[in-house]
Amino acid sequence: MPGMNSGLSPSDPTLVAAFKSALLHQGAIVLLMLAFLWLLWATARTWRPAASPGKGGTAAGGAVEPRGRWLLRTGFGVLWIFDGLLQAQPKMAGGLATQVIEPIAASSAGWVQHLVSWGGTVWSYHPVQAGAASVWIQVGIGAWLIAAARGPWSRLAGAASVAWGLVVWVLGESFGGIFAPGLSWLTGAPGGVLFYVAAGALIALPEGAWRRPRSGRLVLAGLGVFCAGMALLQAWPGRGFWQGTAGGKAGTLSGMVKEMSATPQPRFLSSLLSGFASFAARYAFAVNLVVVIALAALGAVFLAGRPRLVRYAVWFGIVFCLADWVLVQDLGFLGGLGTDPNSMIPLILLFSAGYLALVPEVSGEMAGVSEAARDGEAGGADGAEKARDPGKARWLRPGTLRGLGKAVASARARSVAAAGALAVIVLGAAPMAAAAANRTADPILALAISGNSSRLDLPAPGFSLTDQDGRTVSLASLRGKAVLMTFLDPVCTTDCPIIAQEFKQAGQMLGAQAGHVELVAVVANPTYRSTAFTRAFDRQEGLTTVPNWLYLTGSLSQLGEVWRHYGVAVQNLPAGAMSAHNDVAVIIDPAGRIRQEMDADPGPGTSGTQSSFSVLLSQYARQALRQS
Amino acid sequence: MSRRAAGGAALLACTGLACAGLIAGCGSHPARVTSSGPPPAAPLSTSLSTSLVTAQGTWAVAVMGGPDAGNEFWQLFFRPATSGRWSLVTPQGVADNGGMVAAGGGAYLVVGFRPSQNLTFSPLATSTDTGRNWTPGLLDARLADTPGAIAVGPSGRTLALLQDGTIEAATAGSAAAGRWAPLTTLEALGASAPGRACGLEGVTAVSFGPDGNPMAAGSCARPGPAGVFTDAGGTWRSAGLGLPAGGRVRVLGLTSLAGGNMALLAAGSSRYAAWWDGTRWTVSAPVTAGGVRAAGFGPGGSAWLLLGGGRAEIVAGAAGGAWRALPPVPAGTEVLAPQGTGPLAPGTGGSYDALAAAGSRLTVWRLVRGAWAKVQQIAVPVQYGSSG
Repeated sequence: MPGMNSGLSPSDPTLVAAFKSALLHQGAIVLLMLAFLWLLWATARTWRPAASPGKGGTAAGGAVEPRGRWLLRTGFGVLWIFDGLLQAQPKMAGGLATQVIEPIAASSAGWVQHLVSWGGTVWSYHPVQAGAASVWIQVGIGAWLIAAARGPWSRLAGAASVAWGLVVWVLGESFGGIFAPGLSWLTGAPGGVLFYVAAGALIALPEGAWRRPRSGRLVLAGLGVFCAGMALLQAWPGRGFWQGTAGGKAGTLSGMVKEMSATPQPRFLSSLLSGFASFAARYAFAVNLVVVIALAALGAVFLAGRPRLVRYAVWFGIVFCLADWVLVQDLGFLGGLGTDPNSMIPLILLFSAGYLALVPEVSGEMAGVSEAARDGEAGGADGAEKARDPGKARWLRPGTLRGLGKAVASARARSVAAAGALAVIVLGAAPMAAAAANRTADPILALAISGNSSRLDLPAPGFSLTDQDGRTVSLASLRGKAVLMTFLDPVCTTDCPIIAQEFKQAGQMLGAQAGHVELVAVVANPTYRSTAFTRAFDRQEGLTTVPNWLYLTGSLSQLGEVWRHYGVAVQNLPAGAMSAHNDVAVIIDPAGRIRQEMDADPGPGTSGTQSSFSVLLSQYARQALRQS
Repeated sequence: MSRRAAGGAALLACTGLACAGLIAGCGSHPARVTSSGPPPAAPLSTSLSTSLVTAQGTWAVAVMGGPDAGNEFWQLFFRPATSGRWSLVTPQGVADNGGMVAAGGGAYLVVGFRPSQNLTFSPLATSTDTGRNWTPGLLDARLADTPGAIAVGPSGRTLALLQDGTIEAATAGSAAAGRWAPLTTLEALGASAPGRACGLEGVTAVSFGPDGNPMAAGSCARPGPAGVFTDAGGTWRSAGLGLPAGGRVRVLGLTSLAGGNMALLAAGSSRYAAWWDGTRWTVSAPVTAGGVRAAGFGPGGSAWLLLGGGRAEIVAGAAGGAWRALPPVPAGTEVLAPQGTGPLAPGTGGSYDALAAAGSRLTVWRLVRGAWAKVQQIAVPVQYGSSG
């Protein structure tokens, strides 16, 4: 997938430091924001004590939240927060696109790869912004789900969970691998985040829907169809799950477990997985038979919807899912690039919530049913809540400044916390949206690849060489313009064409300022250095129409002098190797002083790293123009 | 739909969302690539590994390094006519991972470098002093991937066959400056009368005829004629070569001889040598072989074929010389090179060196009294990792 791979290690210290720094800065902003909200709320309450909510909080005087909904809301809230914290792992910024997204998508259909490539490219162009945004968005959604227990705010949190979950499921999990071979419930099909989406959708439903046992039956029926389908898929012949070995290779399940056991993790877990891999290889048929029967049985019981049977099935499902979570999915979040605990914990939550919805508590939830019924279906539980809490209802409506003050004063702590969580999401989403709209890559990639870039203030050594058209060009003749200068071998097969493209792109990024900047390359090859070669190189790289491009050459002694003055070591190598030289770029200001020197090694030369270098070069050129 | 029913449907839809994916997933299988078209054509050319003989000595081109393509570096070795020792003379200053093509004529030895990775044109190097010094040259296009892609005349006039089948020409001086003149294109040659007669599919070699005019050779779709053409003042004519046995003929190589030319041909599983004295062709008896790993020309109308399984066949002398098998060549043999530079006695084939490459070590084996004897080892300073 072109564009996704920056060639940088996920542990690249520059990237990791930038990611940590971004998280720290944004964390400080989050704290400030939350403190401000709290202060605003406390102040409003002090000024308008009469408007403060009653002692009982949300549940005072009304029906309690249905247990199934509470479980989904808090359970998935905790999961989102946990996932957000996983996104803060140091390797995430540099590693998610190449180590997680790309490999998952690699076996999927072409159109999936194309779609995922877009998301992966956005991430790899802006790894720090995207990494930090994922942290705050997920922590924000989790906190919002936990804080907003009732009413529209709570349902909106469910909707947010659906929206972000779909983004993650499509772009991060390549549709959970459903368009790739090897799909299996055991390994997390159809993608753990799809369960977050389902849970979010259930939370977003009117609360009244949760107070009817029929809803529980529907939830369980859906899960039953899912389990039955997964049993069928697991039993499907020819997919390698029935065999312990196939063609001298490990069977599908034992191979997957063995692969998981290689993930960096505590030794006892690794040993446990290795042991299970051996067991699965030896008794593959029996293991798969157990899985198929268990899934089919769960599916049948959930579809039947008999509460007593469902209760046992849920307990069995919990144990079964936990066993798979540990023995096959390896907890899902280990290794430094784990993004979530995979599918089993979310599935357990859905099983349990379905059961709780099937057998509502008479004392609390059934009371809510009658209340909701009184309000009519149109109002549902929201109407009931509004009736109990007129201050909150007003808070939701736009009003005057005075009204707003009243609304703030009457808001409950949970509402304030929900607003804070929403602010956290916005804090994460805004830079991500800006990054997605920005088609150039962040200069951090170039800095990570090239290492130190030195700020200097030295007179640039003069030179007089010949450009590609045979005209003499000296540094003095370029006075009054900023000069981006590098050294290129015209018959180079690797870096030099990439560097030339970076210079060309930097010129384009400069826009109107390009007229004040010269893009200069000096030949770095002792043998292939005539203007025939500089012209051929220009044609190859599409530089013949770039007005401020100069490719300079000269006699070996002239070139040798320039190389020496600018610290460029050029040397022919034997046995068919390319001529060697160090990749250097210097930025000379209009007064003829070197302002910046950078290692111009372009790394892998992907579109992302090229763009990143171009941004950096154009920034340096602008600085040089300002410094003059 | 009532609100209650809508809510229920939504619930079912939500919890069954994964099932939709499952149904889609049930039908997911790895894409199978099927082809309904004709079977792929056999490769038009042999490896770029080859040897050639000039008045100064014998030159051999062999690939070394590896195993991945980025670490394969093509090397040029030279053995003077007056010595039995080989030396490394690969021109410096350019990466040759894409392949190297060498051709000699008069005092000139021209090397063309096929572009690789981000390079799209072909640097050249010319030596007139047995590879001690090289003059850079430029072909602003992709050189074809065939050992016969360059031909040099006695005056230094050079022909180059490009990847797209275009043939260009330059004098020794203009090649250095990158000034080449197009002679013809694959399309034009194919549309010419002799091109249509043979159903020309591709050009594999260029050379000069006995009158100094450019020649081109390729492969024909029609059975019988061999695609060997001569340029007579801008008009391409058939050189009149055909195989009596019929079959589609591919020209594996074409070279100049004193007063004529020699071609190596393939038709089905038979390989032939053919000699031209400017007026008529003489074709050798066939030798049966599978794939040809490498081929080359020796002095005085001799030639060699390196076949699979360590098999090697040589043919010597003009006018109907017969193929003769050499003893199985040593493992790793990349190229054969005739020991002498003078005309070989017809029928004997003279003696040969076998150059075997393993990583950065080249071993020279010499055929002495019917057996291969190790005579020299060269440690080549392969610059692993220098090309990306």
